[in-house]
Amino acid sequence: MRRRIGDYALALLIILILNFIIPRLMPGDPLTAMYGGALVEMTPQMESYLLERYGLDKPLGEQFVVYFSNLIQGDLGYSYYFRAPVSQVLLGALPWTLLLVVTSLLVSGVLGIIWGVESAWRRGLRFDRVSLVLVMLLNGIPGFVLGILFLLLLGFFLPLFPISGGASPHMDYTGLARLADISRHLFLPALTLTLGQLPRNFLLMRSALINVKEKPYVFTARSKGLKDRLVRYRHAARGALSPVITRLGMSVGLLFTGVLFVEIVFAYPGLGHLFYVAIQYHDYPTIHGCLLLITVCVLFFNFLADWGSQKIDPRLREKDARQLLERT
Amino acid sequence: MHVNYWNELKKDNMGRKGLYMMGVLAVVAVGAAWLAPHDPFAYVAEPLSSPSWSHLLGTNEVGQDVFSELLYGARTTLMVGTLSALFATLISLCIGLIAGIFRGWAERLILRLVDVMLVIPIFLVVLLVAAYVQPGEITLIALFSLLFWPPGARIIWAQVLTLRGQGHIAAARHFGAGNSYVAARHLVPELYPLLAVNFVQMVRRAVFMEAGMAFLGIFDPTQKSWGLMLHYAREFMFTEAWLWWLLPPALAISFTIIAFALVGYALESALDPRLRRPTYAGD
Repeated sequence: MRRRIGDYALALLIILILNFIIPRLMPGDPLTAMYGGALVEMTPQMESYLLERYGLDKPLGEQFVVYFSNLIQGDLGYSYYFRAPVSQVLLGALPWTLLLVVTSLLVSGVLGIIWGVESAWRRGLRFDRVSLVLVMLLNGIPGFVLGILFLLLLGFFLPLFPISGGASPHMDYTGLARLADISRHLFLPALTLTLGQLPRNFLLMRSALINVKEKPYVFTARSKGLKDRLVRYRHAARGALSPVITRLGMSVGLLFTGVLFVEIVFAYPGLGHLFYVAIQYHDYPTIHGCLLLITVCVLFFNFLADWGSQKIDPRLREKDARQLLERT
Repeated sequence: MHVNYWNELKKDNMGRKGLYMMGVLAVVAVGAAWLAPHDPFAYVAEPLSSPSWSHLLGTNEVGQDVFSELLYGARTTLMVGTLSALFATLISLCIGLIAGIFRGWAERLILRLVDVMLVIPIFLVVLLVAAYVQPGEITLIALFSLLFWPPGARIIWAQVLTLRGQGHIAAARHFGAGNSYVAARHLVPELYPLLAVNFVQMVRRAVFMEAGMAFLGIFDPTQKSWGLMLHYAREFMFTEAWLWWLLPPALAISFTIIAFALVGYALESALDPRLRRPTYAGD
């Protein structure tokens, strides 16, 4: 486990260095590269203030120290497009993204597991074959395409759901009305993201269950005369669940990149949409902040999955130890 | 372990369909110049005109023929997809061989690097670079090749470890074969099927990512790409034009991804049903 922590720390460091070095590698003035030039007319005072603040006239090593200490203090720069500190802009968007990600993670997890169990239990029969074809097709549709189609069909031609935003503006709903409003706006983006994740979860659960289906303990459970549903879920599925949970956790990384597109399509006010707006206006401090925050989220959730799965399943711990032994 | 993979692939129902679909794509990509009724870069008609006999899918917002754009888009997609997958697979092969043959510190270093790279969300790194350099085909191919190799390298390394313990390789060693001879003569040929699976899966990833980048508008606007078409068409999606301007490139992207997914799936099950790829963050 200590090894894994090291991996994550190293990955974070690599990302920080990339984030630091790429704007400074660009030809020309790093200040323009960092602030986009087009956004504001730089007055000489401002220029010298920014130069000093980021230590841009100092050697790279010292610049990195300044960059790093600013980061630790939560200072990600100032966004001239949003006219606010980047950290504040990001904190405003983060809850929306988390809402979307967590909803989709849970729904796609539960549905994927149930679907996978049912399909594996009927392996080779029609239900299973149709499911596999469906999953193949679903897997081939990028999230943004699916999102656009939903937007057109269920938001525009058949106006069941709002086509953009996270909540209705200027309505000042409170209590239940606000909750209903937010859920209505959440539905299509969450559906898109969920369908994008579903094939993966389905396939994982299906193959995990196929592996345990023929195990003696399942046979025993069945020969005790237990009901089929009990055998399927309480015995077989439970035994197959732990690797699936691990992979589910690891897939949060995919979710966070998927969410970028979904938010852009539905103009959902989270980090992805923020990133898109920032790209269009060359608002570099915000672009950087977004990417950094999303990366940190991905690393954090992956780490949580890694750590959690070892807690749940002692076999993984043993395997890790055995691998280490083999290596030395 | 001598299975004829080509036959396996053709026998498999899904694999065969995937091959046909890939064939169609290849024909379109190679023959785009002859098949396309117009030059996709030329301003041939009134902007935003509806489909007609001379413009099957109408024209875009600057008056270029959408159908011709669609055909030329296959070139970009397949070029980025196959070349990045090819280079990424070659890098995987070299790095996997080095780790598996030399062992020792090189192996530890490489495996550690792979572990670290697998947790980095690749798409975000590509976006970070792309925020500064408007990437075209070549930039994307370079980026994808440099970022896609870790999962393949891990699999090849593991396979080399199993192979090197086998009798015929030990025999070759005792007859005095060196590292490069064993690698070229015994290891690489046995790795072909693994490399093929890896290649197909990497094509799929690259196509997915290229479409995504272009959809965000982060792609050289002077090149034709399905993602880019979607990017421009999205502004007009609430008009009738979605049917002939937005839907076709969307279907084309799905068609390509499904083609490679089918072939990959068939290859993988022909190879070894238990072969699993390590998880990687952020596709």
